[in-house]
Amino acid sequence: MIKFSNVSLIYPHSTKTIIEGLTFSIQEGEMVLVMGETGSGKTSLLRLINGLVPHHTGGILAGDISVDGISTREVKPGSLAHIVGIVGQNPLNGFVTDIVEEELAFGMEALNFPHDVMRKRVEEVLDLLGLNAVRHRSIATLSGGEQQRVAIGAALVMHPKVLVLDEPTSALDPIAAEEVLSLLHRLVHDLSVTVVIAEHRLERVIQFVDRIIYIEGNGETAIGPAEEVLKTAQLVPPIIRLARALNLSEVGTSVREVRRLTEDIRSQTFETTEIMPAETSVVIEVNELTINYGDQRALKGVSTKIHAGEIVAVMGRNGAGKSSLLHAIVGSQLPTKGQVRVHQKDPALLKGADRRRSIGYVPQEPSDLLYAQSVRAECAQADRDNEITEGSTFAFLSRLVPHISQETHPNDLSEGQRLALVLSIVLSGNPELLVLDEPTRGLDYQAKNLFALALKEYASTFNRPVLLATHDVELVAELAHRVLFLAEGDIVADGSTLDVLLSSPAFAPQVAKVMSPKPWLTVSDVVKAMAQ
Amino acid sequence: MKRSLHPLTMWIWALLLIAAVVLADSAWVALSAIGVATALVIARRDNSPWGGSYWIALRIGAVILVIRAVVGILIGVPIPGRTIFTVPIIDLPSWMPGIRLGGAVTLERLSSSLHEGLIIATVIALFGAATSLTSPHKVLRTLPFFIYEIGITLVIATSLFPQLAHSARRIRLAQQLRGHEKISWRGLALPLLEESLSRSLQLAAAMDSRGFGVSRKRSRYRPEKWQMSDSAIVAITMALSSALVLA
Amino acid sequence: MNLTPSAFSFRGLALPALIATSAISALGFLWPFLISTPQARPQWLFALALPCALLLLFASVSNNKLDTKSIALLAVLTAVIAALRPMGTGAVGIEPMWFVLILAARVFGPSFGFLLGALSMVLSAFLTGGLGPWVAYQAFAAGWIGLGIGLIPRNIRGRNELALLALYGVIAAAFFGIAMDLQFWPWTLGVDTQLSYQAGAPIAENFNRFISYHFLSAMAWDVPRAIFTSTLILITGRPILHTLRRAHTRAAFCTPIEFVESQASERAKEEKAAK
Repeated sequence: MIKFSNVSLIYPHSTKTIIEGLTFSIQEGEMVLVMGETGSGKTSLLRLINGLVPHHTGGILAGDISVDGISTREVKPGSLAHIVGIVGQNPLNGFVTDIVEEELAFGMEALNFPHDVMRKRVEEVLDLLGLNAVRHRSIATLSGGEQQRVAIGAALVMHPKVLVLDEPTSALDPIAAEEVLSLLHRLVHDLSVTVVIAEHRLERVIQFVDRIIYIEGNGETAIGPAEEVLKTAQLVPPIIRLARALNLSEVGTSVREVRRLTEDIRSQTFETTEIMPAETSVVIEVNELTINYGDQRALKGVSTKIHAGEIVAVMGRNGAGKSSLLHAIVGSQLPTKGQVRVHQKDPALLKGADRRRSIGYVPQEPSDLLYAQSVRAECAQADRDNEITEGSTFAFLSRLVPHISQETHPNDLSEGQRLALVLSIVLSGNPELLVLDEPTRGLDYQAKNLFALALKEYASTFNRPVLLATHDVELVAELAHRVLFLAEGDIVADGSTLDVLLSSPAFAPQVAKVMSPKPWLTVSDVVKAMAQ
Repeated sequence: MKRSLHPLTMWIWALLLIAAVVLADSAWVALSAIGVATALVIARRDNSPWGGSYWIALRIGAVILVIRAVVGILIGVPIPGRTIFTVPIIDLPSWMPGIRLGGAVTLERLSSSLHEGLIIATVIALFGAATSLTSPHKVLRTLPFFIYEIGITLVIATSLFPQLAHSARRIRLAQQLRGHEKISWRGLALPLLEESLSRSLQLAAAMDSRGFGVSRKRSRYRPEKWQMSDSAIVAITMALSSALVLA
Repeated sequence: MNLTPSAFSFRGLALPALIATSAISALGFLWPFLISTPQARPQWLFALALPCALLLLFASVSNNKLDTKSIALLAVLTAVIAALRPMGTGAVGIEPMWFVLILAARVFGPSFGFLLGALSMVLSAFLTGGLGPWVAYQAFAAGWIGLGIGLIPRNIRGRNELALLALYGVIAAAFFGIAMDLQFWPWTLGVDTQLSYQAGAPIAENFNRFISYHFLSAMAWDVPRAIFTSTLILITGRPILHTLRRAHTRAAFCTPIEFVESQASERAKEEKAAK
């Protein structure tokens, strides 16, 4: 179905080879995962399949790429639209109209499909994706999972033979991610659609994929069945790391497989040492906090306390109230009822430099904070704002992520580098509290590790709380002491990470699922327990 | 909406009435047209954001009326007749030649200015009525294919608006929390512009992928149907307009 | 060697269409000096003609002449400008749309600038509900302002560029003021005031009258607009131009698309490394 023959790619204005001598072929009905560090060329590879590279972006392409027998040299991307459907990283940015039904019809209108065919296909896709209930709604009002499904639907109406998706689950909570991936699985197995998917959150995907293309960043690529590639890859999800740590002979890609491989380990008993958390002072007090947006009740009288040195994860489905809680704590959202106190002060009353010193906020889109033209200028601005020695912000940044050139424009940095920059800027103010909103979207495992280390250091060195809203269960398992679980405006769980994550099947990390009923969340937990 | 009319119907109605008002050149026709338009706008009132256009247009029309009257009083060429009142004469500097402010204001002068102003105000009001009564989105969709690309550009631009507002709010929050209480224009405009431009490039890639621009002909998913009610409205209005003009 | 499509420019049929429709609309603005009729009838005729001319121009530009990148960028910048326009209401002459138009036209080209100006006027009319024949006048005027950027040589950069653009901002502000007054002259004054145009009178005299009429509005609107626009260009010009140029680069207009044979790719790499 898809054939790459000795493909090499260079963009015209750079000297870096994106891909070199790549040869592989993907059969019909295969699901293939493309993985690699951020910036390694995954998106370029995906775009090669439908011809966006080089027809849309320019580029020097060697070798041949053919899809269903058609070479991408000869046709423009639009001519392949009925064979290859591509769903980009941020589906909201790919929508032309505002209504679900019209969006689905747009591609067909552009290709002059007859009217009855269009009607039929729109109905089909609405049913297939379960979007009938929202067909007349404005796309901007849909949840992330629904938007993702609309984007997939807009590609599916063309009845493509190949579906290419760039990080489809990065913005989704685990349950919505499951839905999308199961949908893709169904498409592959029921309709024999060929699916090529790029993802960072490997733990969600690897159980569904047949083969993996691993772009190693130096132009080399490794291609093969999932287990083979993952045995030796650098970036691997927790269950692979678990298998490696336990020196298992084989590597499993699904929870079920690894459970079978670790049966004997689980049957042993281990001593569990409970570490009682030291009682520390309360930093944030939330009392009967209620927030209403007009008729909508976002938070219904929630109460909690957050202590110094704690890393607290706020989890829950999209729309459960996580953002509202964070905004209230940060002081940008006034409570309708109830109150929030940070160090006994009302955060909404803080202004300017006070605010910066009390609360450090890393937003969902880190680039919201950045407006200078170079990394140097941003760091200098942070140094000036916080009246610290020149160069200290950049020094901190270099420790986090070495080899960043000072002259780079902030928006040219990779996701991980940009997050590090924003974190450096925020931490340069030495805030008494750190709040982060979905920080690890689009980060590969390595970047996530560095980031987690930085947060742990901040919390323990200065004995300050960190509050983060996230979907990333693995990150929470590594990092958080406590988890607040929100659903429909209420806190339904508030306890230690271990307790909360173990009690929820959907939000449990991979290691926990494999090792259940043992109380282990991460690979290091397992290793530590076994070492005793 | 009680029945859904074709989006162009009310525009055709408005244009026909405008033609009648201009050609008939009578204050009574103008006033009745305004009356009819007002009645229609009130009858079909809904909560759409463009519904207020009629009232804005009426206000603009009233302003023009007043301007005409004032201008007529101050610098109008006098039309002999019954003097109503006199404005003191002010002589202007010599480089504004031949202009004399003030003088006797006659009834004829005043009514002539008001008459013209009324016609213009009515035309503006009727345009406002047409805008109030039709959804601009629907009009964009019925745009004939020979301006398809332009139409699509406008459609995309319209759907970008709420996104712009949303992004602006988000960025403002982030900057405030960075400690910049008063948002410098840099802090808001630059990230907003960067983000919007980056989004548009992703959109362009998506559009290319979906086959935009490949085929010269395009089909229409939900064509707006021209119904009996539309023809009826147009026919009645045509008859009415002709009657008014010929009378 | 192929190139990716360039940013929009008036080519082929679109260019004569631009010239023709511009001529018609120029007439629509200037007719009081050129046509003599006893009544103000021509104003209605032109009120009808100009929107048609605009539609015709749009038609000539459509039909596969606009590529997706131009459409997407046009859409975004049009939305930004249309969003900025209402922010000026209340204060006379404080119109934030012009500096964005001028800077964007500088980066993406005068043809793009024409469409951007015209479409922003159309879009903001759509959104504020002020649709009517006057929109066509405004669209052409704003379009010409975008088009006029082509007069500034392409390779000037740095402070000279900003200075020239600011100067252009002043000229554009004055131009727009004159255009709007020309448009409204017959409407607000009619034929029978001392400042109205006189049918049959010599051009010089009508011109004189117009200047008198224009003088007051110039003081009220044009001067603040000119100051506001040029100041904004001087202050915000550098970072905004930088941002726009980055987008222009990332859009990869006119970027080479090369297909080489595999062995040739090695050579190509060596060649590039050697450069």
